[in-house]
Amino acid sequence: MPVVAERTPAPRTPRQRPAPRPAARKDPAGRAHSLWPYALIAPAIGGMLYLLVYPLVRAVLISFQDFRLRQLIAGHAEFVGFRNYRTLLADPRFWEVVRRTFLFMAINVVLIMVIATLVALMVERLRRVGRTVVLCSLVLAWAMPVVAATTVFQWLFHSEFGIVNWALTSIGLDSFERYPWFANGTAAFAILVTLIVWQSVPFAAITLYSALTTVPLELYESARLDGAGAGRIFRSVTFPMLRPIFLLVFSLEVIWTFKAFVQIWVMTRGGPGDATTILPVYAVQTALSSQRYDLGSAASMITVVLMSGVLVLYFRQMYRQEDETR
Amino acid sequence: MKYRLLAGGSVLVLTAALSACSPPSDSAGGDGRTTVDVWLMRDSVSDTFQKEFTADFEKRHPKIDVKIQIQEWDGIGQKITAALASNDAPDVIEAGNTQVAQFAESGGLLDLSDRTDELNGEDWLSGLAEPGAYEGKQYGIPYYAANRVVIHRTDLFEKAGIDAKAIKTREQWIDATAKLNKGGTQGIYLPGQLWYALAGFIWDEGGDLATESGGKWSGALDTPEALRGMAFYEELQALGKGPKDSDEDDPPQAEVMAQGQVAQVISTPGGANVIVEKNPELKGKLAFFPIPGKTAGTPGSVFTGGSDLVVPAAAAHPEEAVTFIKELTGDEWQKKLAVAMSYVPNRTSLASAVAGDPGAAAMAVGAANGHATPNTPGWAAVEAENPIKDYMTAVLTGGDPAKEAAQASQDITRAMNAGS
Repeated sequence: MPVVAERTPAPRTPRQRPAPRPAARKDPAGRAHSLWPYALIAPAIGGMLYLLVYPLVRAVLISFQDFRLRQLIAGHAEFVGFRNYRTLLADPRFWEVVRRTFLFMAINVVLIMVIATLVALMVERLRRVGRTVVLCSLVLAWAMPVVAATTVFQWLFHSEFGIVNWALTSIGLDSFERYPWFANGTAAFAILVTLIVWQSVPFAAITLYSALTTVPLELYESARLDGAGAGRIFRSVTFPMLRPIFLLVFSLEVIWTFKAFVQIWVMTRGGPGDATTILPVYAVQTALSSQRYDLGSAASMITVVLMSGVLVLYFRQMYRQEDETR
Repeated sequence: MKYRLLAGGSVLVLTAALSACSPPSDSAGGDGRTTVDVWLMRDSVSDTFQKEFTADFEKRHPKIDVKIQIQEWDGIGQKITAALASNDAPDVIEAGNTQVAQFAESGGLLDLSDRTDELNGEDWLSGLAEPGAYEGKQYGIPYYAANRVVIHRTDLFEKAGIDAKAIKTREQWIDATAKLNKGGTQGIYLPGQLWYALAGFIWDEGGDLATESGGKWSGALDTPEALRGMAFYEELQALGKGPKDSDEDDPPQAEVMAQGQVAQVISTPGGANVIVEKNPELKGKLAFFPIPGKTAGTPGSVFTGGSDLVVPAAAAHPEEAVTFIKELTGDEWQKKLAVAMSYVPNRTSLASAVAGDPGAAAMAVGAANGHATPNTPGWAAVEAENPIKDYMTAVLTGGDPAKEAAQASQDITRAMNAGS
């Protein structure tokens, strides 16, 4: 790293040019010139402010207001302090949803990381043809639009026309004849986990694989000469070398599963009962079905805090370990 | 369709943000003509009806242009909410009769109480007029009503030696259906989540979906009456291959029946048109009878479904909106609509218009025992989340009825009181 940092300024020096003359001659023109960068970046900043910051601020405001259908239509929302947060935090159903969200996230992230790492290690060991085939399949799975994939999964597990029930019945498991997968909470949850894992493994696997190719082969060689087995090599060579990439992929997957809203909404709408209701689904349900925009916003805010909490904890842990190993 | 971080929050704010942006209404043209924007629902009018009505209306009111948009029922509650919150709402919206209370409560609708006389308010169907009123004021103008009947295949009935006209009680209905349910034929195609039918069976037993006491509503699916209603549903559902985990729209039951293997479905009479449209070979082979009750004397209870027309408080042209409603709900077009779409007209005095229509006749028998969902703004939240559907699937797939009913009732109670 330091080598790169030192090298960068060097080639720049000869390229430096004296200030352009026209700018120096006329003062107003010079001022206009210095405003140019800001003018150029203004649309992007403006767009971001309007599309990201304004909604966020508005959601924060709504979470502190008494904001229902009447206020949405007629306006005049009153501020009620932390009342919405108190209502939520006192609701056992909300805590049940929080617990489920973390369970959902943990299962997904662990499965994604483990499967993706195994796939990456496998791809590295494959010959050219096998590698091409696996990488192509990964990219194809990854390129599948979320809603399309969700719909396909929905049909795979359809009670009447689903290929899963057909396959299970034709190998003799008659209890699966017209088995309604989405009527069973655990089954619906498992199907969603499968879908989310299937959708995220390609990204994680390809990222990890490309990182694996950067590990110098000599390290493996010397480890093997020292008598290390495959497991030991992974623990002592590969993982430490790739720690930053693992960190990155892990964080992205935490975010990805925490916000897995589209899949759930399209497939089960949080049902049956509450079996697949995680925080984002809960927020939308509260806001749009019960017309409690205030409680929905508060739930979203709590989601942000919880998610940031998970990431902060994880980052701190990782940095601490890094400091120790240095 | 891409949801960014915090999907929940963004969706909320999107809805909220709609209230912030207000594109100027461009409908007042330079030539003094006004455009009245109308939202009607899918299957509310046919293409032909819409064209004829629009042409006639514009001829009679040369200063007004009509722009009709057809909306889908799926997710309509949110769409109307967003429209009411915007400054660019349509002038007339068709809303399900069970949805009006919620929007009226929110203050988003125009109070039309002083216009009821000119809109023939004296003999409106109560099943449409009552849900359209909130705290003594009339917000929803009755548009059309419909309730469910049994659509059946006359050829299959004949082959099985059954006289459909003789089916007057539940026992006779079950017997006939069991007889029809042979070989490749399904006695009845009843999807597991047709909760309107379940509601009818529960009302037959004297139960209800939810009851009010002391101003607080609570779910009532766990009463003995309601459990008997569910037991009958289960018995009937088993006489065919209806999927236990979906409703009548998934797959659309008219399309299932159009494939020719189904002897009966529970549907509004208009469904027969769709079946014939999908499979012209069934033309002339479909007939109707009212849903049988517990005894021969009383027809089965039915949910009085239907639509009201409302005018958003934010409508740009409320006067033209009322003119539009007046024409569409007036004698001439109500009669034509009822005949074309097999609906019950919005006024009792127009009932004779559909006397010759077999579907409407069967519907009229059932309508005598018509019921409504709980008339409270909280009910819309129950329909949006619909714990009744989960309950039905749970029981049909072997769950303990008493336990599942208690859970569902609890969910209904929560949903109904969540908004207040």
